[in-house]
Amino acid sequence: MSSAAPSPGTARLAAALSWIGDRIGWEDLSHVAAKKEVPIHRYTVFYYLGGMALFLFSVQVATGILLLLYYRPSATEAFESVQYIMAEVPFGWLVRSIHSWGANLFVGVVVLHMLSVFFLKAYREPREITWISGALLLFLTLGFGFSGYLLPWNTLAFFATRVGTDVPAQIPWIGPLLSRILRGGADVTGATLSRFYGIHVAILPATTTVLLGLHLVMVQKHGMSVPPSIEREGTRGSLRFFPDFLMRDMVGWLAAVGMLAALAAFLPWELGKKADPFSPAPAGIRPEWYFLSMFQALKYLPAKILGIPGELVGVVFFGLVAAVLVTVPLLDRGASKGRSSPWWNRLAVLALVGAAILTVLALLPARGAGPA
Amino acid sequence: MRFVAAAPLLAALAAPLPAQTASTRPAAPVNNCIECHLALDDGRVSPPAKSMKDDVHAKNGFTCVFCHGGDASKDDQALAHDPRKGFRGKPSPREIPELCGKCHADAELMKRYNPGRRVDQLAEYRSSGHGKALAEGDTAVAQCASCHGAHGILPVKDLRSPVASPNVAKTCNHCHGDAKLMGSHKLPSDVYAKYAKSVHFKAREKGDLSAPTCNSCHGNHGAVPPEVGSVANVCGTCHVVFAEQFKLSPHWEAFKDMGLPGCVTCHENHAILKPSDAYLADGPQGRCGSCHEKGSPGAVAAATMLAELTRLDSETRETKAIVRRAAEAGMEVSRVQFELGKADESLVKARADVHLFRVSAVQKTVGDGLAVARKARKDGQKALAELDYRRRGLVVSLGLIALAIAALILKIRDIDRRRASK
Amino acid sequence: MAHTGTAVDENRRRWLTWLLSTSVGATIASFVYPIARYVIPPAASEPSESEVELDVKASDIAPGSARIVPFAGRAVLLLKTAAGELKALTATCTHLACTVQYRSERGDIWCACHNGTYDTNGMNVSGPPPRPLTKLEVNVRGDKIVVRRA
Repeated sequence: MSSAAPSPGTARLAAALSWIGDRIGWEDLSHVAAKKEVPIHRYTVFYYLGGMALFLFSVQVATGILLLLYYRPSATEAFESVQYIMAEVPFGWLVRSIHSWGANLFVGVVVLHMLSVFFLKAYREPREITWISGALLLFLTLGFGFSGYLLPWNTLAFFATRVGTDVPAQIPWIGPLLSRILRGGADVTGATLSRFYGIHVAILPATTTVLLGLHLVMVQKHGMSVPPSIEREGTRGSLRFFPDFLMRDMVGWLAAVGMLAALAAFLPWELGKKADPFSPAPAGIRPEWYFLSMFQALKYLPAKILGIPGELVGVVFFGLVAAVLVTVPLLDRGASKGRSSPWWNRLAVLALVGAAILTVLALLPARGAGPA
Repeated sequence: MRFVAAAPLLAALAAPLPAQTASTRPAAPVNNCIECHLALDDGRVSPPAKSMKDDVHAKNGFTCVFCHGGDASKDDQALAHDPRKGFRGKPSPREIPELCGKCHADAELMKRYNPGRRVDQLAEYRSSGHGKALAEGDTAVAQCASCHGAHGILPVKDLRSPVASPNVAKTCNHCHGDAKLMGSHKLPSDVYAKYAKSVHFKAREKGDLSAPTCNSCHGNHGAVPPEVGSVANVCGTCHVVFAEQFKLSPHWEAFKDMGLPGCVTCHENHAILKPSDAYLADGPQGRCGSCHEKGSPGAVAAATMLAELTRLDSETRETKAIVRRAAEAGMEVSRVQFELGKADESLVKARADVHLFRVSAVQKTVGDGLAVARKARKDGQKALAELDYRRRGLVVSLGLIALAIAALILKIRDIDRRRASK
Repeated sequence: MAHTGTAVDENRRRWLTWLLSTSVGATIASFVYPIARYVIPPAASEPSESEVELDVKASDIAPGSARIVPFAGRAVLLLKTAAGELKALTATCTHLACTVQYRSERGDIWCACHNGTYDTNGMNVSGPPPRPLTKLEVNVRGDKIVVRRA
């Protein structure tokens, strides 16, 4: 690219790199990487979401590892250790708030990424496995959010976890056992904290590494998918991934980091009060925003529907939704053949609108009691 | 009658007779009284016999004849109820204190059963309102059996006993809540209702039995309302500091001279509610106005003390809010909260100092408390300022990030332009 | 169109590259600095709920006297017996949570609120308090006093 002679420093750096490269053999890799291209069309902007999700995940891993240096996963010390991080450790407040806000941002971006892939039909053949691994990654992300929420051991988290782990207990036969395994006992205690900690820092990261690895390898293998309408129209050419698309990605990543830092300084994540299992649950307990629609839906279900407990119907329904979500590419065979899938789109829009309405309802302040 | 000496004698007499009682213990004294009275199944004479099962005297070998006389070994009524054997039937109310006192005022006897037991109950009773009235012939007053029962007497520590600490108030209320009975003695009958509103009653309900009930202030056997000059001493057994302050104040002598009942003048005797600073105010809860006219030095002093207390209270409250905000944002403020606790203590002490009824004393304590609260407020605001410092540091980082983004965009544009022109 | 010539173009390229590397480098440094500070442990090595090194020195407390010190945000009575032994007890009265005080002339611990008394081991000996004061573990390292939950 450069037509001028390289400076001595650059020449030495280049020599060192090629010495390593000869041994590792990344020459081949860089050839493959140089060929990676991103098609340019009306919907190209959505391609940024995947990279953004990956970047935010790295931010979570980095801040999470830093938090691990000071956090203590026991009921007697967890809250105090988080307070210690917030108040005594230099920039501890920054690391912790970035991790908490970053989690929410991460979930949001993952959902947007999934929605864009869905509406742009990127799950068509041959990218079914990419979609399936992605859907599973979504569930892992929600698992990260749920398990991480308990770790500061404050009042809100404690009671939200209690409510949240009550839900699986509704499943017949295995439900109570499942709830017991989740909680590490009959109720939410220090044992639950230990368990959620293990899930949050070991089990989920390990599983995510495997699935994410598969997901990314599949993306590299199959390249960027082009939506059916663009396939018919034709693209406006393509962009090299290295360095062009990557530099644009970095603009977004830097903006995200700036936003997280601003949130940490202006809206620091609350510490709250240490959980007291014996005090009554405060009014208005609710889970994080990404669980609110399910939480609210469960509230509306009557106690019994055709003789079956209402909550069970709700849980089964959510299970069905999850199963459909994972198997979308297998169910929408028409998309692979290039046919448009308006009913799938409508179903998705309906689900989104419903979830949005339920979330808003859940956020409204509790109304007075209905007719006695 | 020396029932005491008769005990071993009767036991000896009873020995050759077969024991007919339900108990199969061979050494139990024969007690045909109980058997016969139970068998009669009469509404008047059977219940006492039934209740002797749990009776503390019976359990220690003191049977019916010890109080009633007669012969327990006989099953013929005339022989058992023989006046020559000391039978006296049902004692009259006037006889009861001396009857119980025969044993319970005898130190030599009582120490054989419980060396730690007091033996002055009879002497105390004679000094009580009940005892004095009974001595003058008024039998509609309490004597030993009224509170302790006569048959089926339980130890005081037994929670079923009418004189066990949790039950004392209800037992007193049997008579002291009876409007007709109290009316004839020119006494109020709403005392229990009043007491039930008090902080002491509520503390006891929560399980704190150190809070006073009737006998704590009136005495047990020597029950009498504390005199005007004694009220402060009585309250002062627990509320030491307040009593000491009050006795150093001008109100101590003044109240005695006016016949006002010390602490009770402002705090009531039975319906003792949680006091508030409003006692010093002009309003409906104000206590000072009944003696000190508006504008008088006393009223002015009250208003000044109230103003001081209010100042410290609101300063402490505001500082607590600031510190709490900092704590919830995650700032480490435990040291500040600890120091602020001293301001709370100053407020408590200032309220105690009100009882010196001297403005300068209250002002000094309030001054100490204000100094603490103000320092804590500064520290709390420093903690909150730390949050501001972070925001300023953020501006620097955001500036750098904005610069980097701008540089990236420029570079991207440059590369694109270069490629387009090739 | 590069009508001003490749030299100017080349300068512009170099300047942009310099700007990019400097600003990205500075941004990365602005991340590395907080992380480096974060990783270095702060002076107060333990959260103050479990173990506290007190500001007051062992030699500051005269035998037969006591002081109220903060521990885990609560008041603790630190007393030195006539024999020189240091003891730490919670200073919150078990009756209605007033702060107790040491009475050196009587060698006992007293609560002014309702006349409750404790002995120097924290045992509630008279008055309303229903439970003893909690004992805390005191260790002396040189002149430093460290108080821990027992």
